[in-house]
Amino acid sequence: MRLDPGAADLDFRQKARTWLAGNVPHAPAPPDGQASRAYALDWLAKLHAGGWSGLAWPEAYGGKGLTPGRLLTWYEEYVRARAPSTLDCTFVALNHAGPTLIACGTEDQKAFHLPRILEGRSIWCQGFSEPGAGSDLASLKTTGRVDGCDLVINGQKIWSSFADIADYQELLIRTEPGSKRHKGLSWVICDMSLPGITVRPIRNMAGVSHFAEVFYDDVRIPLTQVVGGLHDGWTTAMTTLGFERRTAAMALQLELSVRIEDLIARAAPAPGSAMADRLADLRAEAAAIRAMSYRTALREPATPFDGSVVRLAFAELAQRIHRAAMDVLGPDALTDGQWVHEYLESYSETIAGGTAEIQRNIIAERMLGLPREPRA
Amino acid sequence: MSFDLTPTDDLRQILDAAQTMLDTHYPVARLRTDGQTDPMEPLAEFGTFLLALPEDAGGAGFSVVEEALLHVSFGRHLVSPSALAMAIAARIALDAGRDDLAAGIGGGQITVCTAIAAPDGPLLCEPAGTTYALVVADDGLTLRPLDGATQAPVTSMGHGRSMTRLTALPDPSTDLRAKVETARLHTLLCAAQLLGIATGARDLAVDYAMTREQFGRPIGSFQAIKHHCADMAIGVEMLSAQLDMAAIAARDGADDAAFQIAALACLAPRIALENARTGIQIHGGIGFSAEADAQLYLKQAHVLRHCLLAGDLLSLPAPMAPFERQPA
Ligand SMILES: Cc1cc2nc3c(=O)[nH]c(=O)nc-3n(C[C@H](O)[C@H](O)[C@H](O)COP(=O)(O)OP(=O)(O)OC[C@H]3O[C@@H](n4cnc5c(N)ncnc54)[C@H](O)[C@@H]3O)c2cc1C
Repeated sequence: MRLDPGAADLDFRQKARTWLAGNVPHAPAPPDGQASRAYALDWLAKLHAGGWSGLAWPEAYGGKGLTPGRLLTWYEEYVRARAPSTLDCTFVALNHAGPTLIACGTEDQKAFHLPRILEGRSIWCQGFSEPGAGSDLASLKTTGRVDGCDLVINGQKIWSSFADIADYQELLIRTEPGSKRHKGLSWVICDMSLPGITVRPIRNMAGVSHFAEVFYDDVRIPLTQVVGGLHDGWTTAMTTLGFERRTAAMALQLELSVRIEDLIARAAPAPGSAMADRLADLRAEAAAIRAMSYRTALREPATPFDGSVVRLAFAELAQRIHRAAMDVLGPDALTDGQWVHEYLESYSETIAGGTAEIQRNIIAERMLGLPREPRA
Repeated sequence: MSFDLTPTDDLRQILDAAQTMLDTHYPVARLRTDGQTDPMEPLAEFGTFLLALPEDAGGAGFSVVEEALLHVSFGRHLVSPSALAMAIAARIALDAGRDDLAAGIGGGQITVCTAIAAPDGPLLCEPAGTTYALVVADDGLTLRPLDGATQAPVTSMGHGRSMTRLTALPDPSTDLRAKVETARLHTLLCAAQLLGIATGARDLAVDYAMTREQFGRPIGSFQAIKHHCADMAIGVEMLSAQLDMAAIAARDGADDAAFQIAALACLAPRIALENARTGIQIHGGIGFSAEADAQLYLKQAHVLRHCLLAGDLLSLPAPMAPFERQPA
C-alpha cells in the first residue's frame, strides 16, 4: 500500500498547479441561464486547449487516460485553486453521457458527440425522472412509439438539470407498448432543439433555476439516436464505466476538505470551545471523505459499493458542514451570500441522483446482503 | 505503482494467520465470563510485539501499516489493551537503549498492562502478572515498573474485565517516557483497535438481522434495521479508509502524518461507540443481556477511548488548505 509520488508525479502536480494558477477564472460563475452556459463552456474550452479535459477518458476517445493517482492529484490541485465547480452544466456530458456513449454508442454517435463534449461545444442534460417516477425510476411512463425510422415521443420529464441550456438530453423512455418496469425501455439521444419540446425551468429553494420540466409533444427522434439496444435502455442506463464510477464525484468529495478549511478560517473558534470541537469533528470527517476517495480510486479490485458509501457519507457531511456555517454566520445567515447559498443548495445532496434512503437500501442489500425491499 | 491502496499479499497472509490465532485463543465469547485476563503468550508467539521493529532489533521488519491492520483484527476480538501496551512498550524500551527489556516484552516473558490516568490514581487494565504499566495521561505515555506499587481492586464497568487502581506509585526515576512519534503510533494502533470494534459490532448485528425473525420475516428486511446496518457500514468504511491514510503517512514519515492520525483519533471513538450502541439496539432484549456479545463491544470501546491520546486536530496544518489567490 503506497502513496509515494515519484519525480514524474511531483512534476505533474507542479504543472497542474502552475496552469491552474494562471487560468482559473477570477469572476464567479453566473448562477444560471445562458450566462452560466457560456461561462462553463468557456472554462471547458480553456481546459481543453490547455490539455486538461477528458483526463479520465480513454485516449482512444480523445481523453488523456490518466491513472487514478494522477486524477486525484489533478483534482486536489483543482479544488485548492478554487477552480469552477465540476458540478456545472458540463457535468452530465463529461461524467455520464460521454462514458455511456463510449460503452454503448455506435461509431457514428461517438464520432459526432465525443469531440463536441470534450472541446466544450455541447451541453447535455439527463431526462430520467418523471413526476410519477423518482426513486422508482422503472415506473416511468413517457413513451416512444416506433413509426417508420423514427420514435415519436410523448410525455413529461422533471428535475432535468440544465435542460433549459442543454443541446442534448439522455432520454429514457418506454418504447415497447405495454411493457412493465425495467423491460421495454430505450435510452435515446434527444436533440433539445427538436419541435415539440417545451422546457419550463423550475426555481430551486436556493433561488436559482438549475433544473426544469420538459414536455414532449409528438417529438420525432430518428431510431439512429437510440443508444444500446432498442427496448434495452435499462441496460444502457445502468452501464457505468470503471473510470466514471471512480472519478465522477472525486472533485466534489475533495472539495469538502477545502470548504471546511474556509469555514474554520472564518469561524476562528476559541480553543476548547464547543465550536472548536464541532469544527474539529467536521475536519476529521472531511479528511475521511478524502481517504475514501483515495480508496475508491486506488484499491483493486474496485467494488461498486465503494462509490455508494462515500457518496452518501459525502452528502451528509456536506450538509453538516453547511449547517455549522449557519451557526458561525449568526444573523447574517438570514441574508444571501456564498455560504447561505451553498447551505441551501446542500439540501439537494441527499436527494439528487438517488436519495439517502435509497442509498442506504443499496448499501444494506448489496453490500451487507440483507433481504431486498419489496418491489412493485 | 506509486499510488496503490490494494492490500499486499504479505498483508493478507499476516491477517489470515492472525485470524486463526485469534479464533483459537481469543474468541469473543470468552468474555462472557467476568473478570477475564487475556494471556499475552499467544500474541507474543505470533510475533505481535516485534512485528514492525527493525530486524536488527529482533523484529520482523514489517511496517506500521501491517501492524495497524493487525490491530484492527485484535479490536474485532476485543483483545486486552495489554496487547497495545506491549507493542508500544517494546519500542519505548528500545528507544531508551533497554534492549533486554524490549526483547523480554517482545518474547512475552515480560508483560505490560495499560494504566489509564484518572483523578484518584491510574486504572490498570488486566494487571495480573504484569511487571510494567504503560501509563496513558494527557501529557503523554510513560512506561513504569510496577514493583513496589500497591493496587486496590476495582469493579470495572458493568462487571467486565479485571481492573485495579494504583494507590501508591513506585519510584518514578525509573520511568521511561515515550517519544512523540511513539505516542503517535500508540494513537494509531489504538484507533485501529477501535475500528476493529466498530467492524465486529457491525458484523454481529448484520448476522443477527439476517437470522432473527419477527412478523414472519428477518428483522433485516425492515428498513429501520437495514438503515441502522448501513450506517454501521458507513462508519466502518470512513474509519478504515482514514486508518489506511494515517498508517501510510506514519510509515512514510509524511508531512501530514500528525494531521492524519489526529483526524483518525477524532473519528475512532465516536464511530466505535456509535456502532456498539446500534449493535445492542439491533439485538433487542438479548442485546441488553450479559449472555450475548453485543454489549462487550461497547465496554471495550469505552476502555479504548480512554487509551487514546487525541491530539488537537485544529492546531495542525491541513494537507488540503486552499491556495491564496493572486490578485487579478
Ligand atoms: C438538484 C437535483 C437535480 C436533479 N437532477 C436530475 C436530472 O438531471 N435528471 C433526472 O432525471 N433527475 C434529476 N433529479 C431527480 C432525482 O433523481 C429525484 O429527485 C430522486 O431520484 C428522488 O425522486 P423523487 O424526487 O420523485 O422523490 P420520491 O421518490 O418521491 O421520494 C420521496 C421520499 O420518499 C423516500 N422513498 C422513496 N422510495 C423509498 C424506498 N423504497 N425506501 C425508503 N424511502 C423511499 C425518498 O427517499 C424520499 O425521502 C434531480 C433532483 C435534484 C434534487
